[in-house]
Amino acid sequence: MKTFFKILLVGALAVAADAREIKLLNVSYDPTRELYQDYNAAFAKYWQAKTGNNVVVAQSHGGSGKQAQSVINGLEADVVTLALAYDIDAIARQAQLLPADWQKRLPHNSTPYTSTIVFLVRKGNPKHIKDWDDVVRTNVVVVTPNPKTSGGARWNYLAAWAYALDKYGHDDAKARDFVKQLFKNVPVLDSGARGSTTTFAERGIGDVLLAWENEAYLASKQFGADKFDIVTPSLSILAEPPVAVVDKMAKKHGTTDVAQAYVEYLYSDEGQDIAGRNFYRPRDAKVAAKYASQFSPVKLVTVDEVFGGWQKAQKTHFADNGVFDQIFQP
Amino acid sequence: MKLNQLLLVSFAGLQFILPALAADETATNSTGAAQAEIPAYTAGGGTAQSGEAAEIEALKKELRELGQQVQTLQQQRDLDQQTNAATATGQIQDLDQKVRILGRQRELDQEAAVAAAKAAPKLTVGSSGFTAMSADSNFVFSLKGVLQVDSRTFFNDTAIKNNDGFLLRRARPIFQGTVDRDFDFRFTPDFGGSTVQIFDAYGNYRYQPWAQLRVGKFKTPEGLEQLQEDVNTSFNERSLVTDLVPNRDVGIQLWGDIHGGVLSYAAGIFNGVGDAQNSANAAVENEVEFAGRLFVQPFKNSDLAPLQGLGLGVAGTSQNGTSNPRDLPSTTGGTLPGYATDGQQQFFAYNPSNGVVAASGEHWRLSPQAYYYYGPLSLLGEYAISDQEVRSTFNGARADLHNTAWEISGGWVLTGEKASFAGITPLHPFDPHNGQWGALQVVGRYAELDIDNSAFPVFADPVRSASAAQAWSAGLNWYLNKNLRINASFSHTTFTGGGGAGTVAPAIVTRQPENVFFTRVQLSF
Repeated sequence: MKTFFKILLVGALAVAADAREIKLLNVSYDPTRELYQDYNAAFAKYWQAKTGNNVVVAQSHGGSGKQAQSVINGLEADVVTLALAYDIDAIARQAQLLPADWQKRLPHNSTPYTSTIVFLVRKGNPKHIKDWDDVVRTNVVVVTPNPKTSGGARWNYLAAWAYALDKYGHDDAKARDFVKQLFKNVPVLDSGARGSTTTFAERGIGDVLLAWENEAYLASKQFGADKFDIVTPSLSILAEPPVAVVDKMAKKHGTTDVAQAYVEYLYSDEGQDIAGRNFYRPRDAKVAAKYASQFSPVKLVTVDEVFGGWQKAQKTHFADNGVFDQIFQP
Repeated sequence: MKLNQLLLVSFAGLQFILPALAADETATNSTGAAQAEIPAYTAGGGTAQSGEAAEIEALKKELRELGQQVQTLQQQRDLDQQTNAATATGQIQDLDQKVRILGRQRELDQEAAVAAAKAAPKLTVGSSGFTAMSADSNFVFSLKGVLQVDSRTFFNDTAIKNNDGFLLRRARPIFQGTVDRDFDFRFTPDFGGSTVQIFDAYGNYRYQPWAQLRVGKFKTPEGLEQLQEDVNTSFNERSLVTDLVPNRDVGIQLWGDIHGGVLSYAAGIFNGVGDAQNSANAAVENEVEFAGRLFVQPFKNSDLAPLQGLGLGVAGTSQNGTSNPRDLPSTTGGTLPGYATDGQQQFFAYNPSNGVVAASGEHWRLSPQAYYYYGPLSLLGEYAISDQEVRSTFNGARADLHNTAWEISGGWVLTGEKASFAGITPLHPFDPHNGQWGALQVVGRYAELDIDNSAFPVFADPVRSASAAQAWSAGLNWYLNKNLRINASFSHTTFTGGGGAGTVAPAIVTRQPENVFFTRVQLSF
């Protein structure tokens, strides 16, 4: 009788151990839909050729801060590809889903591509918006997402602040007034960058959209080059959206190897080329040179240089009762 | 003076001046010859002509000035019109932007409201009970319940005094739920009997549907009819087969449903209980009981509709226990361990003339089982063996008793609903105002239980205990809705052996066939 039960148990487990499709969840920020649509197809093909296994990558998109909070609250991401390092730091700090030194695990501080902030204006630039000074004019309506939820919006805000510091000799008070005036011109705050693109491009609201560079080019391509112009300001910020494996979730799902390969493949020639095709600035010098002509030259500053890093910038400007809460009245 | 008025005056003035000038020209030209300058001085008329010429010059000058004024006024009017148009266009554009902004703000507010609704916990009250669920469904708490009010009326059993009447067969609140998505729990006390009992109290970890781990008190994976939910059985009481299988026990079990239930398995380790026993929630000896079950529904996911409801399986238990009365069958209907009829009256007891009987040694069970459901048709059959080593405390005699039972039951839903192991849901719930009466099912069953002859006389008194029982039953089940059900059935049980002198069960029971009419009103949610 005991032998019978042993056979029963072994047999049942053997039947249950059939092959399964590998599923990954990539929780990303708002404007990366097209990038990861292309990238996921390429990675699946690569992984199939390498291992013979099928991998299906599901995507979740939204404002970077919101997405990070979702992962902290239990959304079981195998990988995160967010707008700024601070949001992934929050996941490591609050939910301990990956180590605190996650950013060192991949090249270029785990940032396989970069971007910056530019202006998307109506065709012909009827309001003659050339630089940040024009964005704060009282007769200009500005579209930008909510810095409390959107990573892109935080880049926008910091880019404006950096310009003002440069203009006013690092006078924080004047920079604050400058950004305050900017947000007085903002009638609608979307939760994410893609929402702001919808507001500007589809709903026809505003004179200028402060946008990720890739989002601006994508909008121009999608809606027609006869609808919009892209204006590159004299100074902008180097936006470095990082990627990471969410260790605990990948381990739980048994997808650690695939997830690691997924983020690493972003640095491959094909991954870099896909980034360039989608209007991100590749890290690889050879691929960057290939796509250099599609970008306008711009003086770039970094968060570390101007603001002392994301931890400090977040705490000063975007935390509850920070500068943004003080200057923006809905 | 307003522009329009000035223009009118100017035009009016021109009306007079121009004809005058033309008349002057006409008069001047009336001779038809080219007019030469007439010298200013003529005899007696030179001063009058120069006066007229001056007047004409003055009028011409005034006319030129008026013309310039008109032109200026026209230009100003055009400019004003352009300015007004531009202002109006600008105002329209501003209004358009404001409308668009308001529209977009409303869109965003609606999106935020939808997101907030998604994040809000949900509370539902319905035919499945009361359920509270977190927004992400990782935490669920449900309150369900079962209330069964029965009546039993026995016929031709005048010697038995206290078996007719109503009883609260089951009164069970069921607390169940999920924590952290993968961990389920269930707690079921029962207030229906004379004492409060715990029937279910377990936690279950769902790693995958095919790999789950259950710990606590729950039904041993053995008898098919026993495993059916109490609210879904065809009759008030389960058949004689259920006499030979365990009820609930405390233990740990690995189990799962593979490919959506095509194959179900369970393998567990339990304290071990006697036939039909409900565990007393603690071990009574060191030896554990192994239990396992395999059940296949090979056509469940196929396109062969007539075979989708076919299920076959086999289950078994094994324990090598020491001497312990809890390892013997339940005392239902009597004072000693034994087996009971459909009417819950004991027809067999381990009641030797001398001493008592103890379970001692190996106890194993085996139960091949099957069911078939197709449309309104339901069929269920199982065979059970309970092989028990026993010992007499009187003389130490031992025996290996091989008790067996089998049953076949069937049903037909007269109103056409589909029958299933998980019950019947009326297509037209009871609503007499609209001519709806629920679902009606006829059911029938035949069962036998046979006691090993080796039990007699050392371990059971053949005068009082029957060596076999045969029972047939027929009934009608009325499903008013998903929650309310009314049963009526009749069971007739005959016995082999027993029926001798005695004033208590089993003698008093086996003296005549048992004829019992059941009714039940069942509320479940």
